[in-house]
Amino acid sequence: MKIAQTFSHIFKKENPLVIPICTVALALSFTQCGAKKEKASEKVTITFWHSFVASTIPALDDLIEQYESENPKVKIKAQYVPTGDALIQKLITAIQSSTAPDISWIHSDFLADLVDANAIYEMNYFVNGKNGLSQSEIEDIYPALLQYASLRKRLYCIPMEATNLALVYNVDMLKDEGCHPELAPSNWEELEEYAVKLTKDFNGDGKNDRIGFFLPIFPAAGPLSGWMVWQWIPYLWQAGGYIVSEDQSEVLYNSEAGVKALTLWKNIYNKLNLRTFTTDYDVAFASKLVAMAMDGPWNLPRFNRLLRNLNWSIAPLPKGPVKEATIAGGEYLVIFKQSDHPDEAWSFIKWIIRPDIQARWSMRSGYLPMRRSASDVPEFKEYLLRHPNFKVFVDQMEVAQVQRSLDYGALQVTRHIAEAIEEATLGGGDPQEALDKAAAKSNKVLQSIRRNVE
Amino acid sequence: MWNKFLQRKKPVIHPSAGTSGKNIFTALAFLSPTLVIFCTFILFPVFFSFYLSFHKWNMFSSDRAFIGFENYRRLFTDPEFWMVLKHTLVYTLGTVPLNMVIALLIALALNRRIAGKRFLRTAFFTPVIISPVAAALIWRWIYDPNFGLLNYFTGLFGLPSVNWLNDPNTAMIALIIMGVWKTVGINMVLFSAGLQGIPDNFYEAADIDGAGRWAKFWHITVPMLSPTTFFIMIMSMISSFQVFDIVYVLTSGGPLGATKVIVFYMYEYAFKFFEMGYASAVAYIFFAILAILTLLQVKFMKTRAGYRAI
Repeated sequence: MKIAQTFSHIFKKENPLVIPICTVALALSFTQCGAKKEKASEKVTITFWHSFVASTIPALDDLIEQYESENPKVKIKAQYVPTGDALIQKLITAIQSSTAPDISWIHSDFLADLVDANAIYEMNYFVNGKNGLSQSEIEDIYPALLQYASLRKRLYCIPMEATNLALVYNVDMLKDEGCHPELAPSNWEELEEYAVKLTKDFNGDGKNDRIGFFLPIFPAAGPLSGWMVWQWIPYLWQAGGYIVSEDQSEVLYNSEAGVKALTLWKNIYNKLNLRTFTTDYDVAFASKLVAMAMDGPWNLPRFNRLLRNLNWSIAPLPKGPVKEATIAGGEYLVIFKQSDHPDEAWSFIKWIIRPDIQARWSMRSGYLPMRRSASDVPEFKEYLLRHPNFKVFVDQMEVAQVQRSLDYGALQVTRHIAEAIEEATLGGGDPQEALDKAAAKSNKVLQSIRRNVE
Repeated sequence: MWNKFLQRKKPVIHPSAGTSGKNIFTALAFLSPTLVIFCTFILFPVFFSFYLSFHKWNMFSSDRAFIGFENYRRLFTDPEFWMVLKHTLVYTLGTVPLNMVIALLIALALNRRIAGKRFLRTAFFTPVIISPVAAALIWRWIYDPNFGLLNYFTGLFGLPSVNWLNDPNTAMIALIIMGVWKTVGINMVLFSAGLQGIPDNFYEAADIDGAGRWAKFWHITVPMLSPTTFFIMIMSMISSFQVFDIVYVLTSGGPLGATKVIVFYMYEYAFKFFEMGYASAVAYIFFAILAILTLLQVKFMKTRAGYRAI
């Protein structure tokens, strides 16, 4: 009764406080929704942000379900954020407002910023802790991935899975043109030769109707620019080059090796007249307009579904003048310092990288295991026998390298390389000049950041 | 009784209505929901970004280093900034006049008694309400060199296929075409409203004087429409200066940066490279440019064709 009276008093027409009170009440009720956490039971909730592609999410749900049934006291709340770019923007806001998740999936390019903001744990804190990892377990992880997960020689994340880049090709087209029937091009000369041979102008209108080899030339400022650079870097390594010097004082991608790699791309681009070709490569591959292209294992489940009428296969990237190389990638998990349950978060990560879980996750999601011993799991061994295309990717992990992680300015350097690639191919510029111009910009960034840090 | 009723109806103005403390308080209380939203999402960011434009900040860390006018200095010495400014101007000059001419023609055509007038008006207006991202995705397909509709049609006439979005010479044209398509509907509606506001007796008088169609158009329609024209011109100029979403989806500023416009440039520094200070400086210079252009237009148009017509 008293409450009702108070209310009627508050809501009396003349009371000027009504609206502010309502506003505040409304705002409070919203914050209450957010603040309500696990209190009733002793269950610990671990939030996990990620941006896996939609087709991977069922596999992730399956993984989480298994973990929760094995660990009934823990609840994993996975939250999907559509793209990696959106994820990092959301993380920034969350860190500033102290609502960061316990675990997040990040792209290693953002590592430096997160470390500088003192937002994430150093992984050694857990790895060397009571519930840590043994030396042999650490050595079991592909070293390239660990290198990528480190910054300034300290480990900040744990890879959740691995990926790399291989060649996808249309077997029938290669056969028809008298290329080696079993194997896709094995070196750069063959790659260029096949690419030209497989390109066809069927109706003679001067425009190619079929492309021998698809080169990913995308706008340097666009969302696919990183993807373009990612596919070019293996060629730089194959020619014996590096992105950046050991001490990270200057970039090295404009070396002779860089010029060689970019010249190869430029030649193929011009000979195939890719300027007039679509940039939607997978649709074109499915429509038999492309004979060869590069792609990662995450697209295999999709290809298996989409390309059922196509005789296609996977091969390792062709060997370069100096060595065999592909690029390794993957998704990396970090634990935030704002987390209330860092130890439980670590337990979950430790569980994910268990060899049998890695094998299971790999078979379900199409990603590669991040450690060698997953291949010893009997189920996975048998799976590899049945899926030779997938095995190509797993085997390639041994020659996979990572971009020496840039301590500072990773985003800018990637952009500069993208500009050089676009300039030399689409823009018709000289590879040496384009790379030199980009390198000058990158060095300027590296120097200015260095100055600020010191 | 009548007297009493009238007296009641009379608005009672308190002698000190505007200054009384209690009244101000009441007014503020009623405005508070809007004020809170306005202050948090508009007023605060406006001042905060001005403050940021003199700092170096990456959004992650809590420390912001004061660097004075360094961001502005860097901006004016960056050749890319002048390039994006040029692209923005080209886009504006390409879309605004074309847009206005087409919108006026459609409005004139639909101002007569023709069949299907309502349907046509809706059809021309539809692009305005489609989400720009969805529309741009559709246009990407239209422009595709291998699967695109546009090249299919030009191919029927034996024209060579053009990779619209992948050629630095045609990408801006492709963008302008889509930009006009997207915004012509709203201007058509505004022009239609303007046309309906012209009293018929002007035309009747002109008929009596023996004026022809052209004479009526030039001496009645155009001057009578000038307030509408003026309004449309300023609004379209501002909105085409701010073009971003269709650029992002259609060309991502490419190829070779040929369609990078100023808002895209700002977005890149803010949300790709996380240089909030620099991006804020760009925003403020951009604001200054828009303000100056608008002021010039207001001044010029008012003395020339402006509101005098009425």
